[in-house]
Amino acid sequence: MIGLVFQRSARRLAFVPIVALASYYLMATLPLTGETESKRRLSSELLASYHRDLGLGEPWGFARPWIKLFRGERLGTASRGVTGSEMLKKLSGSLGVGAVALAFALLWTTLMSFVVVAFNRARASVPLDLVAAVALGTPVFVSALLLAPFAAERGHFIPELAAALVLSLWPGALLALLVNDSVRMEMRRDYVRTAQSKGLSYWQTWAKHVLPNVLPALLDSVVPLATALLAGSFAAERVLGLPYFGQLYVLAVLHRQVAVVVIATTLFAMILAFVSVSAEMLRLIADPRARERSSA
Amino acid sequence: MSIAPRERSLLLGGISLSALWGLSYSLSVLSPGLLHHHCLFGLDATWPDRSVCELAFGGLWVSLTIGVAAGLLATVVGATIAVLARRAGSVVESGMLRLCDAFFALPDVLVLMVLQLAAQNLQDVYPAFKVAPMILMIISLSLVGWAAPARMIRNRIATVEEEDFVRAARALGAGWTHVLVAHVWPVLRAYVAAIFLSRVPAAILAESTVSFLGIARVEPMSLGRYLGASFGNLLYPGGARMVLPAWFLLVAIVFITWTTSRRVLARAE
Repeated sequence: MIGLVFQRSARRLAFVPIVALASYYLMATLPLTGETESKRRLSSELLASYHRDLGLGEPWGFARPWIKLFRGERLGTASRGVTGSEMLKKLSGSLGVGAVALAFALLWTTLMSFVVVAFNRARASVPLDLVAAVALGTPVFVSALLLAPFAAERGHFIPELAAALVLSLWPGALLALLVNDSVRMEMRRDYVRTAQSKGLSYWQTWAKHVLPNVLPALLDSVVPLATALLAGSFAAERVLGLPYFGQLYVLAVLHRQVAVVVIATTLFAMILAFVSVSAEMLRLIADPRARERSSA
Repeated sequence: MSIAPRERSLLLGGISLSALWGLSYSLSVLSPGLLHHHCLFGLDATWPDRSVCELAFGGLWVSLTIGVAAGLLATVVGATIAVLARRAGSVVESGMLRLCDAFFALPDVLVLMVLQLAAQNLQDVYPAFKVAPMILMIISLSLVGWAAPARMIRNRIATVEEEDFVRAARALGAGWTHVLVAHVWPVLRAYVAAIFLSRVPAAILAESTVSFLGIARVEPMSLGRYLGASFGNLLYPGGARMVLPAWFLLVAIVFITWTTSRRVLARAE
């Protein structure tokens, strides 16, 4: 089992250097221009930072942005660039908002699952599916726009809470659909009917029998959820004026801070790889069938 | 003649979207005066010579066109790669699967932003590579969106190839191409159609997000780009009238495409 975990983790983590190199070489080959005839004339400061930060022409140029980062030097221009510590602070802000969003998503899922189990009728799931469909079909920035007049620039972590709420809609809807489908399927199984006929209440049946069988499917959805949270952070932070990692990435792309784009893209890939490896390990711990398959 | 439930869902969704597209295109391109003079939401603050209806309703056909074209192109590219990889087998096939995993390693929106940045710079320096912003967006979305269809179609082909009728055809001497065209494709086509439909809302959402952020400047203006340019008006009294129509239309088209694709996919599986 340990060998399999190691093999799968290595496969996931191998993407990180690939993403780092791919994003570096894509940015390094960009024909950023300083010619006056060009519509997007760039400042000499930006061009200088481009050559300096990417180590163009050097044999180990791809490592230059990382070396600068670890040395605490500024990547990009003086006004729009960022240092390593600033980047880490912004990243921790985004991760904090993401963690709260995940908690909200689990709350929506639990509430909807509660309704399905409590009513235990197929008809109860139709309006829930409709709610989930609207949530899944609404772009993050649309929900953020709804809250922006009330939450933007209010302080006291109100914008952060609003961003977490907005980010939780899509993952919450996805998780709710997944859990509802899985719970409904499990509730129809013989072992559940046996447990109920032996006198266990709905909640005891749900907790002791249904939830352990639904958990593996939930863990499989962790990576798409993390991806959705990261993707949603760009728009949510931009609309609500949060100066965290999502906003940093968008501004770096808009202002051609290419070294920042390289580092930020690689950091995103690292986070998702870490989440994927963790989910895989949790799955092996939580699901005895996965352990049996891996040792077979 | 009764219509099967899957075809019914497809028909309803298709008719709704086509009607919206046709209405939006005809009103905004063929007779824009109608939207300009009879708009309940008044003139836009950022473009005072145009009404809110012209901009919002006019963006609907652009967003739908981008979504459908990108979804179709991504599905075709993904299906072609899946078939070729399956035909080649072993190293090529597992290489394709690893490549798909690499594409899943990052969010679509992020890769789309980087591709737009690269493409815009390329066009600035080499005007020969200049393409219309809408075409550029469709190509970018397809480059980002091919991996999911490729993986799903490859897995489905692998499953269908294990069926008895395919084994029987092979035992009778049918070549790979004949098996694919005569036996696998009839089983696969509903699934491929469902995958195409599932890519449409994903493409519309990704394009609208990137346009909203101001990274892509799709012309004619899409719903996402209009929302991105006008959302600041929400902070002012009466600003909601400029944002609500585009908002509602975007949610409506994504909702219709998503529910249609979900129903068709559930019935195709």
